[in-house]
Amino acid sequence: MAYPYRHPSEVQVLSKYFGDPEARTLKGWEARGGYQALRKALGMSPADVVNEVKASGLRGRGGAGFPTGMKWSFMPPKGDKPHFLVCNADESEPGTFKDRELIRWTPHALVEGCLIGAHAIRAEHAFIYIRGEFFEPAQILARAIEEAYEAGYAGRNVMGSGFDIDITLHLGAGAYICGEETGLLNSLEGRRGEPRIKPPFPAIAGAFRLPTAVNNVESLIAAAHIVQNGAEWYRQWGTEKSTGTKLFCVSGHVKRPGNYEVPLGFNFKEFIYDVCGGTPDGRPIKAVIPGGSSVPMLTADELDIGMDYEAMAAAGTMLGCGSVIVMDDTTDIVKQVRRMVDFYAHESCGQCTPCREGTAWAGKILRRIENGHGTEADLQTLMELSDNMSGKTICVLSDACAAPITSSIQKFRGDYLARMKHPEPAYAAAR
Amino acid sequence: MSASHGGTDSPPSSWPQARQNPGFAGDTGEFATLSESEVRGNAYVGVRPRDGGNPAVAGTLPYQVADKDPAAPLFEGAYGERVQKILDRYPDPQAALLPVLHMAHEIRGFLSPETMDEVAVRLGLSPAYVRGVATFYTMYNLGPVGKYLIQVCTNISCNLCGGDAVLEAFLQATGAEVGETTPDGLYTVMEVECLGACGFPTAVQINDRYFENVRPEDVPALLERLK
Repeated sequence: MAYPYRHPSEVQVLSKYFGDPEARTLKGWEARGGYQALRKALGMSPADVVNEVKASGLRGRGGAGFPTGMKWSFMPPKGDKPHFLVCNADESEPGTFKDRELIRWTPHALVEGCLIGAHAIRAEHAFIYIRGEFFEPAQILARAIEEAYEAGYAGRNVMGSGFDIDITLHLGAGAYICGEETGLLNSLEGRRGEPRIKPPFPAIAGAFRLPTAVNNVESLIAAAHIVQNGAEWYRQWGTEKSTGTKLFCVSGHVKRPGNYEVPLGFNFKEFIYDVCGGTPDGRPIKAVIPGGSSVPMLTADELDIGMDYEAMAAAGTMLGCGSVIVMDDTTDIVKQVRRMVDFYAHESCGQCTPCREGTAWAGKILRRIENGHGTEADLQTLMELSDNMSGKTICVLSDACAAPITSSIQKFRGDYLARMKHPEPAYAAAR
Repeated sequence: MSASHGGTDSPPSSWPQARQNPGFAGDTGEFATLSESEVRGNAYVGVRPRDGGNPAVAGTLPYQVADKDPAAPLFEGAYGERVQKILDRYPDPQAALLPVLHMAHEIRGFLSPETMDEVAVRLGLSPAYVRGVATFYTMYNLGPVGKYLIQVCTNISCNLCGGDAVLEAFLQATGAEVGETTPDGLYTVMEVECLGACGFPTAVQINDRYFENVRPEDVPALLERLK
């Protein structure tokens, strides 16, 4: 079965059944070994599940890369209060489309991951918050949850273990900021999706002000594989600090866009030129965003690095959620940065002044430059503005907006200056 | 640069050409022999019942649909049962607000002030609170939209591959302005932020359905398909 594109360098753990419609059904999932990990987890103590995931070195796949096992270990001892597991399926970082594929091809993998995660943190209820636009994946996941209930994998006395674990699917309504975990929790509670000031962290006061762990779709599915096969098995891939495999979503100017699962630490240059086939026309690459629109961009000369959290940080950017956006030499950098900044201005929740005002101002200045009316002083203003937008707000949306601005001005200053001398949008073509 | 580019952001000339029909991720032949139903999961999902079916998923029916009646009652019959199922899933009735707004949106096609007030009364929330929440989220239409709500992604990944041209093609083919509804009430065309289908550019959402790999020249056939 062929998922859009496959490559021999891939290690398919999570994506093995992409493009296989049989794997979607309960019967098909069970025939492929499904729910064996849940059976094993329910036979283990919650602490043992947490320790196994901790030992695997699995880091959260939502973007921040915080160790999943450690996040679970922050949950307080179980008292009278209910605990909640919340799965963040609000995938909305531009360039990211891995969770959508995981859900629409292997919905039961996520159901199983949520049940295991809930058992690990002793939660009786798992909420899956899926973004509103994902109607089709949500219907597929809803059917899988129904099947899981009917088969006794969810609900009362899961698989005869004596544990009760409910799952509720919750559909969002279109807001990027609800991908931020505390914004998501507010949205789940029926509020505006405005991020909360931390502390308190969700482990202490999360959903409904009760202890909560919020995990990304990919993290939970990876955790199920770790429980089934052991921490050492997972550590066979990746680097010392970035273990395992990860899905990378590739879009933009590449010959074979799509999701590829490779071990962390894979060479980025080889990934783009070999796995993804390079640019469609063989044109030179101008810039690559390695982890979604919120991370600093790299030039073509900076690609010979490992695809892991540490190597990306050393290169001045971030692995983020593994969303690789490739831009060839025909790309109008100013326009694309302006487009990204417009997005952040649209999605700013408006709580913090540096973000609410900064994203809008930056968009205006960039539009002025794009239209050929910019001056060199505008670049200085943008840099100062970006500085004021970084590290000064409740959440990191504002920092995310500043990343493409500052990195593009530092690395593609010539493009901005050329725009000032050549007001016509077709300046790149004439170059 | 080659003439075939035709602009800085149009799709490169070697973009996969083997297309079968406009519509779903994989229609450029990448999914080999899979049918549209298999890729979309239609046969697996089946028909979701109006009462929401299993309470675990009762609040998740698609709420941007072609058939809508702004005058229909909100909480009668199967819909009333669905609200109760939703309420039972959360420790706090306020958490049912989004799912219940979804349902009102599904029935009536948009959230009028009166609709929001009815939801407020049903959930015991203040009308001002409900409006504050409803206006935060971009997927709630606050006024009527066309039978087909066409949302074209123009964010970075689609933009690099020609999203702007696809938007323009929809505007031309329907005669609509951005954000406006055509006089016959059929189409509303909007620009939308990242739809999370970046590997299949350009991504277009029409009501509750994604159409992927859309190129400007596919637009007439796509509109024809909706009828």
